[in-house]
Amino acid sequence: MELLSYDFVQRGILTGLMVGISSALAGVFLILRRMAFLGAGLSHAAFGGIALSMVLGVQPFLFTAFFTLLVGNLVQLVTSHRRVPGDAAIALVFSGGVALAVLILGWVKGFGEYIFGYLFGNILMVTREELLFTFLSFLIVLIFFSLSYKRLVLLSFSEELAKLKGTNIALMNHLLISVSSLVIVLAIKAVGIILASSMIVIPSLTALLIGRSFLSSVLISVGVSVLSVLMGIVLAFYYDLPPSGATVGAMILLFSLAFLKKSLSS
Amino acid sequence: MYVIEVEDLYFSYDGKTNVLEGVSFKVGEGEFVGVVGPNGAGKTTLFKLLLSFLKPLRGSVKLFGKDIRHFREWERIGYVPQRLGVEQNFPATVKELLSLVADRERAKEIAEYLHIDFYIDQQFLKLSGGQQQLILLGMALASNPQLLLLDEPTAGLDIHAQMHITHILRELSSNEGKTVFMISHDIGLVLKNADKVLCLNRNVYYYGEPEGSVEVIEELFGISRGVRDGTP
Repeated sequence: MELLSYDFVQRGILTGLMVGISSALAGVFLILRRMAFLGAGLSHAAFGGIALSMVLGVQPFLFTAFFTLLVGNLVQLVTSHRRVPGDAAIALVFSGGVALAVLILGWVKGFGEYIFGYLFGNILMVTREELLFTFLSFLIVLIFFSLSYKRLVLLSFSEELAKLKGTNIALMNHLLISVSSLVIVLAIKAVGIILASSMIVIPSLTALLIGRSFLSSVLISVGVSVLSVLMGIVLAFYYDLPPSGATVGAMILLFSLAFLKKSLSS
Repeated sequence: MYVIEVEDLYFSYDGKTNVLEGVSFKVGEGEFVGVVGPNGAGKTTLFKLLLSFLKPLRGSVKLFGKDIRHFREWERIGYVPQRLGVEQNFPATVKELLSLVADRERAKEIAEYLHIDFYIDQQFLKLSGGQQQLILLGMALASNPQLLLLDEPTAGLDIHAQMHITHILRELSSNEGKTVFMISHDIGLVLKNADKVLCLNRNVYYYGEPEGSVEVIEELFGISRGVRDGTP
């Protein structure tokens, strides 16, 4: 295994595994809460955050994480009272984030190449600082889903029953959005802004097609995600392909196989 | 002590039109009460007020003698919601759903009591409507509640499933002393099984023995004798 002898590959694999597991966990609950499009909305909102961090000269990942978290919670706030439909609010932050980034890039010259890395990501260019940030975020995501698993499953089943069992629905929604915002920022490093939502949606969708229980769906989602990331890195290394495209390509392949299996068995 | 006490209850969603107006009634321990009324009569709203999902505009709600604003013993109440609106890919099995609300021992007891143990490993969404309602009832029974609130538990079910669910509810009320408060559009089923009938159409038109409700139901809701008796 020649590729494992390189530091940057090791960092890429570690990051990929953590991002893959985090996004696969968040994805299952986001899809079942009918919030799948949130991933695309927040990743594009994050685009504005990244551009803003460049202008302000602050640490891009940390700043973008806070920015995305703030935007995500604002979406939840304006949709919770049903004044604005959820999908419309997501479309708003989607275009708002891109508009902010375009404005900043038009105003401040010389960030084009830098931004390109964020648009398409590159998991083989993860720095030690980013690896640490990913690790800490991964821990937060794991702790949240371990502690809230039962509540989230019940919430996905029936908000009313969850409420009756003492779940604070608004708080749980805000926590899920906050954790998902963090996951999105992680996914941006792995596959970039444009493909980040695929990390959340495709493995979970695959798992929900073939999973025979909730737990098995979560495990399949994690498995598909991890396998795709590893396939993406291996293909990128040996065939000089963009890792983001290779990873998402692998996800789509696994989804297609699951879809075929499902179609043949039903 | 009454299990449910509702006094002069008013509620409005928009602040203009009252969905409930001056609703008052009391439900005693072990009673089986059927709530009937046309669409938009405020039946589900009444349930949401009883469960504290909504706040009354005016009036009071007491559960087990305690004002709803201070009531915290929700484990004493089992609730079967009207619609789940669950995502079509929701993958949880019956066992997983029961484990969300009960420990292993209690989940086993419920499964055996409701005879759902032979499909406990199946996915909830792959079950028939009647089986799904049994699971929801099982989840409601998890905390061994004294009061069961059921919002149209037999809607859309075939006659066998309807009879099965109603038989269980009747048994829970008569043998185990649980109070059953159930919304139903099936007038015949309510008249046949309930101890009391609550006819609701924004306010209470009738509350009492099923026998006395027949005329009120016919007059207020335009229901013919055939519909009421379940005959053509």
